[in-house]
Amino acid sequence: MADPRSIAHEEHQATHHAHGMRYVVVWIVLLVLTVVTYAASRVHLPGGWHVAVALLIAIAKGALVALFFMHLWDQRGANRLIFVTSLAFVALLIGLTILDNATRFPLANPPGSAGALPWGGADRDPPKLP
Amino acid sequence: MQASPLAHHFENIEKQSHAERLGMWLFLASEVLLFTALFAAYAVYRYLYSDAFAEASRAIETWFGLVNTVILVTSSFTVALGLNEAVKGNGRKTGLWFAVSVAFALAFLALKAVEYSHHFQEGQLPGRYYSFHELQAPGASLFFSLYFLITGLHGVHVIVGMTILAVVGVKAARGKYTATYHTPVELAGLYWHLVDLIWIFVFPLIYLV
Amino acid sequence: MSPSHASDVPVYNPRNYLNSPATGLKSWLLTQDHKRIGVMFLVAASVFFAVGGLFAMLIRIELLTPGPTIMDAMTYNRLFTLHGVVMIFLFMIPAIPSGFGNFLVPLMLGAKDVAFPKLNLLSFYLYMLGAVVALYGMVHGGADTGWTFYTPYSTTTVTKVVPILLGAFILGFSSILTGLNFIVTTHTMRAPGIGWNRVPLFVWSIYATSIIQILATPVLGMTLLLVAVENAFGWGIFDPARGGDPVLFQHFFWFYSHPAVYIMVLPAMAVISEVVCAFSRKNIFGYKAVAYSSLGIAFVGFFTWGHHLFVSGQSAFDAGVFGILSMFVGIFTAIKVFNWTATLYQGSIAFKTPFAYFVGFLFFLVFGGMTGVAVATVSLDVHWHDTYFVVAHFHFIMVGATVMAFLAALHYWFPKITGRMYPEGWGLVGAVMVILGFNFTFIPQFLLGNEGMPRRYFSYPERFWALNVASTAGASVLAMGLVIVLVYLLVALKWGPIAGPNPWHSRGYEWDTASPPLPENFEETPVYTRGPHEYDEESYANPPPVAPEPKHAS
Repeated sequence: MADPRSIAHEEHQATHHAHGMRYVVVWIVLLVLTVVTYAASRVHLPGGWHVAVALLIAIAKGALVALFFMHLWDQRGANRLIFVTSLAFVALLIGLTILDNATRFPLANPPGSAGALPWGGADRDPPKLP
Repeated sequence: MQASPLAHHFENIEKQSHAERLGMWLFLASEVLLFTALFAAYAVYRYLYSDAFAEASRAIETWFGLVNTVILVTSSFTVALGLNEAVKGNGRKTGLWFAVSVAFALAFLALKAVEYSHHFQEGQLPGRYYSFHELQAPGASLFFSLYFLITGLHGVHVIVGMTILAVVGVKAARGKYTATYHTPVELAGLYWHLVDLIWIFVFPLIYLV
Repeated sequence: MSPSHASDVPVYNPRNYLNSPATGLKSWLLTQDHKRIGVMFLVAASVFFAVGGLFAMLIRIELLTPGPTIMDAMTYNRLFTLHGVVMIFLFMIPAIPSGFGNFLVPLMLGAKDVAFPKLNLLSFYLYMLGAVVALYGMVHGGADTGWTFYTPYSTTTVTKVVPILLGAFILGFSSILTGLNFIVTTHTMRAPGIGWNRVPLFVWSIYATSIIQILATPVLGMTLLLVAVENAFGWGIFDPARGGDPVLFQHFFWFYSHPAVYIMVLPAMAVISEVVCAFSRKNIFGYKAVAYSSLGIAFVGFFTWGHHLFVSGQSAFDAGVFGILSMFVGIFTAIKVFNWTATLYQGSIAFKTPFAYFVGFLFFLVFGGMTGVAVATVSLDVHWHDTYFVVAHFHFIMVGATVMAFLAALHYWFPKITGRMYPEGWGLVGAVMVILGFNFTFIPQFLLGNEGMPRRYFSYPERFWALNVASTAGASVLAMGLVIVLVYLLVALKWGPIAGPNPWHSRGYEWDTASPPLPENFEETPVYTRGPHEYDEESYANPPPVAPEPKHAS
């Protein structure tokens, strides 16, 4: 690790530039992507592709905000690491939790859900909906 | 923040800014994890009830979300422009851009309130209050529980962020910050961008898929 | 008696953080001095330790006979819930990081204060607010869910669970702010000469703890809020009747609460790394291994939460994955244990009270850790789950390791914090009673659990009677030992002999300043030319009975 004072100094230099044009470009791209993600949701896609496309676009937009509006592009060291680490832990919680539901013994998932047995699959009748 | 913004226990202003920035990023990381529990619940229930969630998502009006996305993205842009002025030392213009951002935030909240009132009329409410007759599949009420939790928590963050922007904006307009020290402007901006960042993920998950 | 205060050399620093800039109550309540905030945390946490200990004794008295002894089942349920909540959220999580950490981290880094002193004070008040809200819930009805608040019981119970949940939610923010402060302090406030490979091991461990606090605590906060919302308004997030999945709660809860075990144990390891060097008068064996294994524990600790769900309906596949991942914690812990033991080798050991607690710690950590690896094995856990075996296992880690380290820290830094010495003879008596009493309390519980006695019941079949009596007897010895410690420390606070700046001849940076330290810590920013655990020089490896003390501020 480098000396903290030099990091502080570098950061100081990096954050003291004006970035007017860059902001305009990023803003326009964000608006375009917003429209694209809306349009993509209206197009017919098979299976889970809607989710995948929407999330990919959201990640692209999020990256733009984080890198340019939040200046991670200009920064070094800890600040980038912190943000990436937090995202890794987001993935960890979501990943291992879904993995559980996806591989569970069917009766252990809530009744009526995709992970459970279909209605009537277990030896009981579907509930009477009003 | 009187005559000198340098606190007694720091050597110099660069080091202090560095520390403040690092602290803010750590705080933002913990904010991300705060939302994570809700997103993870969303992911699990979406997996378990994909049809009901798709139906429920279609039952709410997309244009609210779309317009609000444009509003928030634009407000993020104006906040960035505010910082840009602060870097040049134009406190008054920073205040102006932040005022514009606060106006956008208010518009976002107003639209959200209209949207909530629609849900109340339709009975699209969480858990035991759910009475939306057109959709009675199992798991549908969970979508609305999560909808209100996620947008509600986000709304709280909008209100907090807006307040911070207002306070920092007024201070900037009064010339409290200089071209060399304007870290509070930067940090207020960071918080606001995070609020935007979270909405960027909320929008497709709630309204589109 | 310690040789160092047998002479007239030690001096009590007249201008210290305790009496300047002012001594009034207001000057304490509004202080931004990390040392005062640390002391306030220590006092508050110790009070809650006593309260939680009282609950524990009541539980043990109730279990003295197979049937009802002094209370009914409902009261018993409330008591063990309160015992858990108070001990975990109010004592163990804040005690070492917020208490000793606040006091020591800036001193060990040669800094004037933590990076954000105001946030530090806010953290203390959030802690107090959370404690008050939780205590309100305890006094008005109390909860009977256990400290784990498992759904669906916690969302349907008639007891007042909401205030306790909100209290824990607020306490979480106190924990996050403290962690944030320490990370930034470690990054930005190190004095000249303290590179990353000279950061004291105490600070390394606290740093690792802080990472967990920042990343895991928000998830718990949100989860507890969800339970509170569901309990109060019925939103159905974890309610199977509305499609919810109760096991999801357990995932969220343990995503925090398993790493929280390391929030409690890593600071204990922090203390031990300092104590082992100071009392064997040797450099730490494998500085980098000990430092980085803290980060390793913090990291791997996040991958193990599912081993609490083996019998909760979690998928067999996930259970296997978590079972294997859990074993990795053992590797990093073993690295530390071997390095501490290797540090002792050929050291000149001073068997003082902190060292006695270190010996207890080492035994309990190894024993508790080994049983931990055992219960992380899926097939074995099916037999032991929710029995007294698990109770004994986690008490070995939490009490055995954390409380031993807390007591070691209390004795080791007592001269630094107060400027006075505790009575060494009484200290050893107390340590022996605590360590023996603890063993007699929990070893019978291992046996009880293995025979199948389930936890959280206020009565039991007669065949468990004898071992329960043994456990209660052990708990009484433990309690008496703790009372002795409390009494002689309170006496030493006023009448203890003057300690001087460095009664242990320790090389730790925090001993370079006066005792008690100056309000601004150091007269001028120190510059370091040596590491914090270097006992190589002859004078430090074998200190003379009375070492000439450096003069400070007097």
